Amino acid sequence: MTTPTTQPEITARPPGFGAWMALVLAESKMVMRDTAGLLIPIGLPMLLLVMHGISMDNQVLPGTDGLTVMEVFVLPLVITMVVATVGVVNMPSFLSYYRRSGVLRRLAVTPMKPMMILVAQAVVSVIQSVIGIALALTLALAAFGGNLPRSPLVALGVFALTMFAMYAVGMLVAALAPTANSSVAIGLVLFFAMGATGGMFGSREALPDLMATIGEFLPFGAAAEALGAAWAGQSVETTHILSLLGATLIGSLVAAKFFRWQ
Amino acid sequence: MQAIEVNELHKRYGSTVAVHDVSLSVRQGEIFGILGRNGAGKSTTVECVAGLLRPTSGTVRVLGLDPHRDRDRVRQVLGVQLQSSDLHNALTVRELVRLYRSFYGDGADPDELIDRVGLTSRRDHRFENLSGGQQQRLSVALALVGNPRVALLDELTTGLDPQARRDIWALVEDLRSDGVTVLLVSHLMEEIERLCDRIAIIDAGRIIALDTPAGLVSGAGLGQRVRFQVNGPFDQAVLDRLPEVTSVRVEGGQVTVRGDGDLLQSVSRALVHGNIIATETRLERPNLDDAFLALTGRALNDDATTEDSR
Repeated sequence: MTTPTTQPEITARPPGFGAWMALVLAESKMVMRDTAGLLIPIGLPMLLLVMHGISMDNQVLPGTDGLTVMEVFVLPLVITMVVATVGVVNMPSFLSYYRRSGVLRRLAVTPMKPMMILVAQAVVSVIQSVIGIALALTLALAAFGGNLPRSPLVALGVFALTMFAMYAVGMLVAALAPTANSSVAIGLVLFFAMGATGGMFGSREALPDLMATIGEFLPFGAAAEALGAAWAGQSVETTHILSLLGATLIGSLVAAKFFRWQ
Repeated sequence: MQAIEVNELHKRYGSTVAVHDVSLSVRQGEIFGILGRNGAGKSTTVECVAGLLRPTSGTVRVLGLDPHRDRDRVRQVLGVQLQSSDLHNALTVRELVRLYRSFYGDGADPDELIDRVGLTSRRDHRFENLSGGQQQRLSVALALVGNPRVALLDELTTGLDPQARRDIWALVEDLRSDGVTVLLVSHLMEEIERLCDRIAIIDAGRIIALDTPAGLVSGAGLGQRVRFQVNGPFDQAVLDRLPEVTSVRVEGGQVTVRGDGDLLQSVSRALVHGNIIATETRLERPNLDDAFLALTGRALNDDATTEDSR
């Protein structure tokens, strides 16, 4: 046994940009190879769009200066759905799987911080959402005569807030779900509950008052309302913005407190 | 400086004490084995060294560094293979090795490493489509991908067939010649006996013996056994007076003599002297299995009453 007299100095070399990109690439491959998981955020909104499109939803709303149902209701709803399915259903299912299967533990013993896998998943989720929305918008604009929002910057801002809110809710699911399977179940239940009360299955006006009010202030309903306002070029209601900010804050805090790495 | 230094390690989960009191130090370049039954506290000890668990009390140092406080520095030089830990299931062998390689400043060439663990023909297969043994080999590769100076290998040949097991052992022997320190956790006696310079035996959260394999065997005070067959009556007084002999047992024509020192020669000489014709004379030396049994009171793989290891 030799005892080297000169020890090379041990220095911390945090993984650089290349390692981050490698992790983002790895997460992209994971997401792309999960075909069933891709179908919901890409396929479901397109289906909804086509159903509304062929049922003549491009009729002009009275007293709105030429806005259609497609623009004010359907497109905001579809965009919200894409972000919500990616954030609330897909992302937590990956994170729960990584925790349960020991991927996070395995990463924790490398120089890469396991926290970075969350960031990589979020980046891939944004890409996934943008693709889903780009496809839906192209279809709406090309086939059903929709228009881009009248306040594009407001729409982008609301879109960003919606992503924060939905991913925070997703992190909350990942933090509280005991297993990967239960995380998918909890994510889906939350998604449908928020969606149903937020106008996903038809106008919220058809719902009982209490449910309609709750739905409006859950992130799904708030996002759809705020995006609709941006499309119409109207000012976004403060309460909707506060609702999205609130969901982001609560989701992040709960996740930070309860997320278990192993 | 020691490669690994564990001092009065104590780890408790609620009211369960996984590790009572473990102290050991592993010299640089040494292959050090931790042997014990499932649930004895082996993996908990290793996870404290890896920095995955915080000790309830006691200290752990890897190359003089605290695995928690100096996490980023320790991670550069410490390679870890964890027991039962999956990887990204939809990524291929090559993608995974490249991914983990990207985390380290220095490291092995991914394709060369894949070849060393015998996975070249499977390198474009997804993790979820590998056999258990292949997954295990990949896991060993990932522990070595950063060219570590210290490697922690927890149950490294679980699920491998005998040939693959020998291949991985050869890989560990290569590590020794490269000067890498290895802390090896196992409940396979053959593995420990073949690879390790020194061994700690852990039982119920405590180290009950720590020595070289040969030292453990002789330290267990088991002595040797000489067995032979005789035809006709046998008077054991012929052997009783020999200083090397501690006991003699006669069952029919089968004689078992226990003792130490140069037992075989001394017994043979006495038999010739007494005109006794012995056949099938065998010398049985105690092995590590016998030592383990003597030290812990139970055989290594007798898991009937132990709980699952953490």
